[in-house]
Amino acid sequence: MTPSAASDEPQLEAQESADIAGLVPLLQRIVTARVGQHPAAEDIIQETLARVLAAEDRIEPGMLEPYAITTVRNVIASMWRKDDVAARNQHRMHDPSESVEAAELLVASEEQLAMTEALARLTDRERQVLLAHEVSGLATQVLADEVGSTAGAVAAQLKRTRARLRVEYVLALEGTEPPTDRCRAVLLALSSADRRRQRELDSARHLLECDVCARLSEPLLDRAPERPDEVRVPIGADPDIVSARQAARELAVRAGFVGADLTMLATAVSEVARNIVRFAESGEVSIELLARPRAGIRVIARDTGPGISDIDRALQDGFSTYDGLGLGLPGARRLMDEFEVASAPGKGTTVSMTKWFEKKG
Amino acid sequence: MTSGPALVSILRQGDVLVASVHTALDDSQMLRFQHDLVRQIGEHRARGVIIDVAALDVIDSFASRTLQSIADISRLRGAATVIVGIQPDVAFAMVRLGMGIGELPTALDLEEGMVHLARVRDRARR
Amino acid sequence: MDTHSFGEVPPEDQEASSDDQLLPQLVAHLREHRGTLRDDWASRIHDSHLLEAMTPQEMVTETTSVYDNYVGVLETGSVEALQHYARDLSERIIPRGVETHEVVGIVLLLRDVLARSLFEKYQSDFGLLNRVLNAYEPAANRIANTVAVSFVDERERVIRQQQDAIRELSTPVLPVRERLLILPIIGVLDGERAKQLTEQLLRGIRTHRAKVVVIDITGAPDVDETVANHLVQTVDASRLMGASVIITGLSPTIAQTLVTIGVDLSKMNTIGDLQGGLEEAERLLGYTVTRKEVMDGS
Repeated sequence: MTPSAASDEPQLEAQESADIAGLVPLLQRIVTARVGQHPAAEDIIQETLARVLAAEDRIEPGMLEPYAITTVRNVIASMWRKDDVAARNQHRMHDPSESVEAAELLVASEEQLAMTEALARLTDRERQVLLAHEVSGLATQVLADEVGSTAGAVAAQLKRTRARLRVEYVLALEGTEPPTDRCRAVLLALSSADRRRQRELDSARHLLECDVCARLSEPLLDRAPERPDEVRVPIGADPDIVSARQAARELAVRAGFVGADLTMLATAVSEVARNIVRFAESGEVSIELLARPRAGIRVIARDTGPGISDIDRALQDGFSTYDGLGLGLPGARRLMDEFEVASAPGKGTTVSMTKWFEKKG
Repeated sequence: MTSGPALVSILRQGDVLVASVHTALDDSQMLRFQHDLVRQIGEHRARGVIIDVAALDVIDSFASRTLQSIADISRLRGAATVIVGIQPDVAFAMVRLGMGIGELPTALDLEEGMVHLARVRDRARR
Repeated sequence: MDTHSFGEVPPEDQEASSDDQLLPQLVAHLREHRGTLRDDWASRIHDSHLLEAMTPQEMVTETTSVYDNYVGVLETGSVEALQHYARDLSERIIPRGVETHEVVGIVLLLRDVLARSLFEKYQSDFGLLNRVLNAYEPAANRIANTVAVSFVDERERVIRQQQDAIRELSTPVLPVRERLLILPIIGVLDGERAKQLTEQLLRGIRTHRAKVVVIDITGAPDVDETVANHLVQTVDASRLMGASVIITGLSPTIAQTLVTIGVDLSKMNTIGDLQGGLEEAERLLGYTVTRKEVMDGS
């Protein structure tokens, strides 16, 4: 690559690759420490960088380092294994058809056992709350009311429990007990993506020293960052209205919304999604977390329906052309902090509405 | 309704029907619920209906309107209706939405719903 | 007489001159002179008028702990224990109004006291002194950083907690008797506080299984349109949860505001004063109030 080509790269991309490039010295130290001047050393580093790059979207920026450490260790380990297997199997013919199904069945039942085991390792209280939420579908507020706590506290507890469940699950799946007192704490900090705790525990160092944790941390790191800041829900039929409002609620919990604000948001989303089903037949609701100017959540409902010819009238109470109460738009407006409708007859309608987590002033 | 876990259950207790909604319902499921309940009121000649909506995390304009319709229809068929278990946050959002909650008869929970129906009946007897 | 001459280094120091031996050696020195160095530090704190909220006894205990933790970090390179200690310490001293600059100040003083002591010990060998300080300074800076960050984190946590507590206090929902709540509104209401108040009341209705709520607005000096709207919504939402609302202490001005925004006052249960409101509440709950019955017996 010529220098001039590189300088044409957009600023943003240059910034991102700089983060990854910053990992190289670290990886070199690790690889040298483990394989010395092995001819494959450079390949290992390249392979690691490629994997990190590929997974970059799934990893939060601050998690790059532990992820890279885990990956490089796995790359080294799989290289040894490959060498080993190749040496042992030189005299054998490989038969790929060999009862793949049976193996898969075994894996499935193993996974189930591991999950049961992991659930059993939670405290009674953790398990109850988790199951009530995940299986019985009880809202955090309901759970909070039962124990006299707040929805936020219950959500935080659920988050910790899920992180712990993931740790116990991978441990049970491997059938290992962690070798040191520190392991569980480190795995938990990784699983919950709690960077402060990771720093406190010096997790990066621990991952270098502990084989078990290095192996187990990969699935944990992979899972933790599944946190898109935007969700799009296609709207075509009645059940999509429910999906849209549930998606909005989940995302809003992450922005810090609690209590009535959450319910108001979900209700407003329900109204605009229903407008799409009734008037336009198909469209989309996108829900997005906002960080600026303040924390909040924005909902945009778009459709390509017939459009609204008189928006002012549509925003008046009681105006409706379907068999409802005519509350759709004016009601949603009352539930949100900001509300805008743009519509072109024959082309479609876009409703954008925002609810702020922190109120002004 | 389709197979799978029941979305709604309707139980008979003497001449009172207790309908519990177990999970969020979409619009068609809501209408189906209205249909089933009204039919059972007729079949059992129920004198009272309690609808427990504690499991609903959202009651939007459509759900409100359907609940109101059920209350109106069953009254016309001779059964007093009371909605119980509306969650605090849901109640808040319903009034913010601007639902003219009008004559929707409500009570805190199942127990209060029973008390409410008994009182309505006392009044009717006098 | 000073028997040392320049350039003469005790044999154990010469031996320990490889760099990774420096920190252990330095730690041993700081341990050995713990008493004097700690006193030195405490008097510097005193002179700088820091931590004046603490008693002399507390100063001795805390400075000793900080000193030992400090040396511990130098020795192990792990800030974990210090972090916990710093957070714990912060939790104890924040309620007394200790400020961030004081906490940072005392740690920097300690860094300084120890650096001086190292300087005195090693000044005879400038090269060695340089290496000792090179080993000491990054570790010392890391410690100062850790303590400051822990303190600020803890302070933020405490502030958040206090804010929550204040919010709770400003909207008390009082259970007076079984199934009856009173919500006295005191002070200026704005939209946000009115909303919190409503949320809290609705939860209260659920927790206390309230049938009747008396909202007393005698103590609210001003009710604008937004708040008046809120009041109406609170009444409606309470009713959705099966509770009746009685509003007491409605001034003529507020009544006028309600009428202006289109509230039908005849549909709201309003009673002049709190006493009358409570009597009405008892009546709704089915208790008989003799005095009232006599008066009503027209």
